[in-house]
This record gives sequence, C-alpha cells and structure tokens, in this order.
Amino acid sequence: MEDAQLVQDFRGGNHRAFNKLVARWQDRIHHFAYRFFASSDDAAEITQKTFIKAYQKLDTLEDVNKFGSWIYTIANNLCLDELKRAGRRRATSYEALKVAPQTENATPADGTVLRNEGLVLLHKALLQLPVDQRVVVIMKEYEGLTFREIAEILDEPENTVKSRLYYGLNALKKTFDSWNINKEVFDYE
Amino acid sequence: MNKETARLLFMDYLYDELEQDQRKELEAYLSHNPGLKKELDELGDVRSMLQHLPVQNPAEQLVMVEPERSGFQDWWNEMIESWLPASGFVRAGVAVASIFILFVVMGAFTNMNISINDNGFELAFGEQQEIVQQGFTAEQVEYLLQQMREENALMVSEAVQAVQQTQDEKLEQTLINFANYVEEQRRSDLRVISSGLTSMEETYYDRFRQTDQVLGELIQTVSTRN
Repeated sequence: MEDAQLVQDFRGGNHRAFNKLVARWQDRIHHFAYRFFASSDDAAEITQKTFIKAYQKLDTLEDVNKFGSWIYTIANNLCLDELKRAGRRRATSYEALKVAPQTENATPADGTVLRNEGLVLLHKALLQLPVDQRVVVIMKEYEGLTFREIAEILDEPENTVKSRLYYGLNALKKTFDSWNINKEVFDYE
Repeated sequence: MNKETARLLFMDYLYDELEQDQRKELEAYLSHNPGLKKELDELGDVRSMLQHLPVQNPAEQLVMVEPERSGFQDWWNEMIESWLPASGFVRAGVAVASIFILFVVMGAFTNMNISINDNGFELAFGEQQEIVQQGFTAEQVEYLLQQMREENALMVSEAVQAVQQTQDEKLEQTLINFANYVEEQRRSDLRVISSGLTSMEETYYDRFRQTDQVLGELIQTVSTRN
C-alpha cells in the first residue's frame, strides 16, 4: 500500500494506518537524525518527536503524495531546533567521537585500527560541516533523495541545493586531506 | 562549455541525475581537461568514503497508541459522524432544520402562540384567555367627563380664592410692618432731637455760669483796686 493511501486511511479514521507509516519511515528518519547528530539517543528523540508531530499535523498535509518530503521537512526542522537549543552541549557529546583520532602515529599494519578510526573521523568531518551543507550531504548521500525533493524539503532552489552539496563535498575533501584519510583506509575488512 | 558550466554539472553527474546528452558532452569536455577531471574524481572519492559511514538502527519499534475511547462521548461522536453528511454546508443546513423542527415541536407542546398586533410582537405560552370588554357607554363617559369638569372648575375656583386670600394677608402684614417701621423711625428721630436740645441747654447753662463767675471775679478785682 502506498503512503498516500495510508495517509487517506488515517484521515478516514483508521489510526492503525499511521502505525504502518511509522513502521515504513522510522528507520529512515532515525538514520537521518543519527547522521545529523551522531547520537542514537538524540536520533531516537528526534524520531519520536517527528512522528508525534506528524500524527498531530497529518490533516494539514495538502498533497498526500508528498508525505515523504513532508516528514523529512518535519525531521529537519526538529533537528535544527534541537541544534539551536543545545548547540553547545552537543559540541562534546558525539558518540561517534569517543575515540580520539590517532592516524598520524599508526602503521600500515594497524589497518583495522585505522579503518575504525577512519569511520570515527568520517562522522567527525560530517559534523564539522556547516549545517546547511551537512543536511544536503546527508539527504543526498544517504537518504538518496533527488535534488528536486531536497529543494522542496528545504524550500530552496535546486541550484542552491547543488551548490551546497558541491561546497560540502569539497570541504569534506579538504578535511580528509588534512587528517591524512583516503579511501584506502576503508579497504581493510 | 567552459570550466564553470562543467562544475555546475558535477553534482548532477556524480549522482546520476544528468541527461544522457549532457553527460556525454561533459565527459567529452573532461577528456580535454585533465585538471577538471581530477577534481571530479576526487569528489567521487569523497562520495565513496562517505558510503562507509556506519549507522545505527532504532532500538525499538515506535507504536502510536490510539487514544482510549471515553464511552458515551465516542459513541456520540461516531453517531454524529455516521449520520451527518461530510459537507460543512449541508451540515449547517441539517442543523438549522433540526432547530426549526425542535422549535415547532416544543411550540406544539407548550401551546405557544406568536402574534403581531398594534402593540408589537407577542409570544405567549399556554391557553390564550379571551379578552372581555367591560367599559362605559358613551353617555356615561360624557356624564363622567361633565362631572370631572365641574369638579375641576370648583377646585380651580377654591384654589384661586385661597391664593387671593393668602396674597391679601401678606399685603396687609406688609403694610402693618411698614407703619410700625415708620412709627419707630419717628420716635427714634424725636429721641435724637430731644437729646440734642437737652445737650444744648446744658451747654448754654454752663456758659452762663462761667460768664457770671468771670464777671464776679472782674467786679471783685475792680472793687479791690478802688
């Protein structure tokens, strides 16, 4: 059953239809929030708030075929609100950054260590991006949304979205270069 | 195509959202611009590295619990929803019709009577009592009016007389007061004149005595010298 049909069922009084929407979208919203904050607790909180708000506001959704963009908009706005509310606290509470980067002292024999640290640094580099670039990178790279969908979610022109992604990827490249991380680091399995 | 336009297409190219002809055009341009090609490849490497970023699944499945039903309220809401049409306009019409029917039924039970007459709008409940006309005939009314006129004339006459008498009494009293005032004034003037004459008389007497005394002393002095 399509999302649009589930939305209409919910509006018709079938509250169980909303649980199907939750089951269908929970992982995606959780992953989005997790990549945004690098914290499973925050991701769970944002996910929960997103669906509560969606439950309360679903009647206001004008085009039922755009439920996906709509719920990403809610999640993104909640992430931004949370970032404003507790921005300073977050600077030191990322789960993904529990391991300090040691790539400069590691030897090639420590490939697995390098890989693990590389994964930590990946998230750290992502979190260092400006928020508007970070959101676009996450939505495009991990959520697989089209430029048009992202533009709709963020209420920005498509070219602005592409520009942010371009600058975001360039910023990540410079960060990786400064940390001596390259794609060979992740080849160790 | 130049470098800037080529860079504008980088994101579409990397994420495979470029039209086929534009893709071929970009690739042809990049084949002659190794620096730009390297730049694109590096962005592609960043993409491939980002794909290694781990992610955590939610610990538990969220379930939105349907609000508990509250008995009569839910039953009533469901009944309303099932009976009333969805259109707001039609719902308003049904509501107006229901109120009108209720009004008519209640009116029938309470013997409501609505009327508009010379006195205005009247709303009454219960049995309407017949109004019985119990008044005077024209002759009786004329007789009563005549009596009232006579009584009024008598009352006016008595009132005028009373006022006249009061005014006479006040005028008489005023004249008496004026006469008393004039008499009093006259007596006061006489007292003043009498007092003045007495005072003048005493003054002349003193002067006579002083003159006699001076003359006596003068006579005595002249006699002594002689």
